[in-house]
Amino acid sequence: MTDSPSDTTEAPSPLDTFAAELATKVGAARWTADYGTIHIYVNRDQWVAAATTARDEADLGFFSWLSAVDWSKDVEVGEPAADVEDLEERYEILCRLASVNTSAAVILSTSVAKDDAWLDTLVPVYAGANWHEREAAEMFGVNFVGHPNLVKLYLPSGFEGHPLRKSFALGARTVKPWPGTVDVEELPSTTNVEAGEGS
Amino acid sequence: MTELDTGGIVQVSDGGVSVEIKGEAMTLNIGPQHPSTHGVLRLVAEVDGERISKLDPVVGYMHRGKEKLAEVRTYAQITALINRIDWVSGFANEVGFVIGVERLMGIEPPPRAQYIRLILTELTRISNHLVFASSYPLELGAATPLMYAFREREHIMDVIESVTGGRFHPNFNRVGGVKPAAGGGKTQKKVSLDLPAGFYAAAANAMDRAEVACDELDELVTGNEIIQVRAKNVGVISREDVLAYGISGPNARASGIEFDLRKHEDILPYSDFDWNVAVRHHGDSFDRYLVRMDEIRESIKIVRQAIANVPSGPLQAKVPRVLKVPPGSVYVRTENPKGEMGYYIVSQGGRVPYRVKIRSASFSNISMMSKVAVGQLIPDLVATMGSLDFVLGDVDR
Repeated sequence: MTDSPSDTTEAPSPLDTFAAELATKVGAARWTADYGTIHIYVNRDQWVAAATTARDEADLGFFSWLSAVDWSKDVEVGEPAADVEDLEERYEILCRLASVNTSAAVILSTSVAKDDAWLDTLVPVYAGANWHEREAAEMFGVNFVGHPNLVKLYLPSGFEGHPLRKSFALGARTVKPWPGTVDVEELPSTTNVEAGEGS
Repeated sequence: MTELDTGGIVQVSDGGVSVEIKGEAMTLNIGPQHPSTHGVLRLVAEVDGERISKLDPVVGYMHRGKEKLAEVRTYAQITALINRIDWVSGFANEVGFVIGVERLMGIEPPPRAQYIRLILTELTRISNHLVFASSYPLELGAATPLMYAFREREHIMDVIESVTGGRFHPNFNRVGGVKPAAGGGKTQKKVSLDLPAGFYAAAANAMDRAEVACDELDELVTGNEIIQVRAKNVGVISREDVLAYGISGPNARASGIEFDLRKHEDILPYSDFDWNVAVRHHGDSFDRYLVRMDEIRESIKIVRQAIANVPSGPLQAKVPRVLKVPPGSVYVRTENPKGEMGYYIVSQGGRVPYRVKIRSASFSNISMMSKVAVGQLIPDLVATMGSLDFVLGDVDR
């Protein structure tokens, strides 16, 4: 637990304790519990085992959601990541599991390389992962190995590209930059905020 | 009589003998336009006679790509985007997102703002459940309850509109509190930076009327024999399926799971009030209906206590003019009228989020349709689907 926030002098919060215990159980290298949200970082080969352990030994049987984040140095849309220089290009896959007896819940996280984007499916452990993995597969181009029916969920079957990748341009912004000519709020960059300009 | 080769067909004159004719499975396409689909949902059903042997829901007709759109919008702009996810309970969608941003920024909204958020969330819940209580009987063939429920719902919508200015899409939550210039209109701009005059009386009146509507609906629907025959023991969802599929909200509580994020998450001051989590145990369509009727009554209780105790004070915490959210990621879940509504916000320190994952209740709730429908008759499929109370905007996002 080298990287984790437990090395402060004050007593660990119940959230920290829970996160640390579960991280040990699933054999995770790292965990965080910032902003009331527990992340447990596991390796790709631990993914299914970690979810099974969370379900069977930590009462986290409620499958909330599964999705991904595209960590990318170049972004076609939005603002870039904070420290782009040190950023490792990868897809971070997240799976939220919760209890229905207490308020305990965690997010399991694993990362896959962009040129080797695959992960074992969670469908045998949580049947509800089916649609969530289909969505993540079409939106990010991650292959979920062993999924019973990995066809497109939202997108038309002939659709090309993976819309939630940072390299996928947003059509509306390509045609017309935002804000348009009529905007309710001036862009902060055009207003000297510190000096208190504007109404 | 000469012997005829009847080719296996049993003649009527042989009376009393019944043979099973093995027909070919037929593929039946239900939707995308169908009154019972609450939007545009297509169901591809494989049927043997009237019995469904395989069901494949096809979603995506309403997919608006809100997660992508959120990546190019400032935090303040996103509330306008997300209250359109589940348009029947717009206000409740906003709350989780702004609380997520507040947590990342370390802002605590003032108590008065929290109370107003709570009251409006509960009003939204009553309104959502009244829509359910009117549309569900309609799907089962009873048109009258709709008139009763919508009449009383209108009073609740009026209250919401008087505070927020919007009926369906309030866009009333701000990071750090609620919109300060609520109600009143131009003429009383200076004194109307708060709840509009007459709000408490109007809300109390709407609660009284909603209570009457519940009693009327009980007489019209709950005790109705046809409704009971159509909904009881139909579409039973087991506790295990609730967990594995992530079914939440009233649908989970109808299967005996006493889990309500209003009790389990410290999001809004629900612990100040005396109320109970509505739970039923059969997990069938009728129990899902009953849970929602119970929830209306509990929400009425909450609103009555809340409007009697709204603390005074500011409506907004001190918030920088330009919202720059510190890097970090947070997941906040709230009890939307349809279940767990959650936002996973990844900030990288900028004015726009790096990624927003929207966890909507209806998506998970209907993802198990293909399991529960197998073996059902087609009319029972409609009864099951209606009882799940989904909205396609909430499925497709």
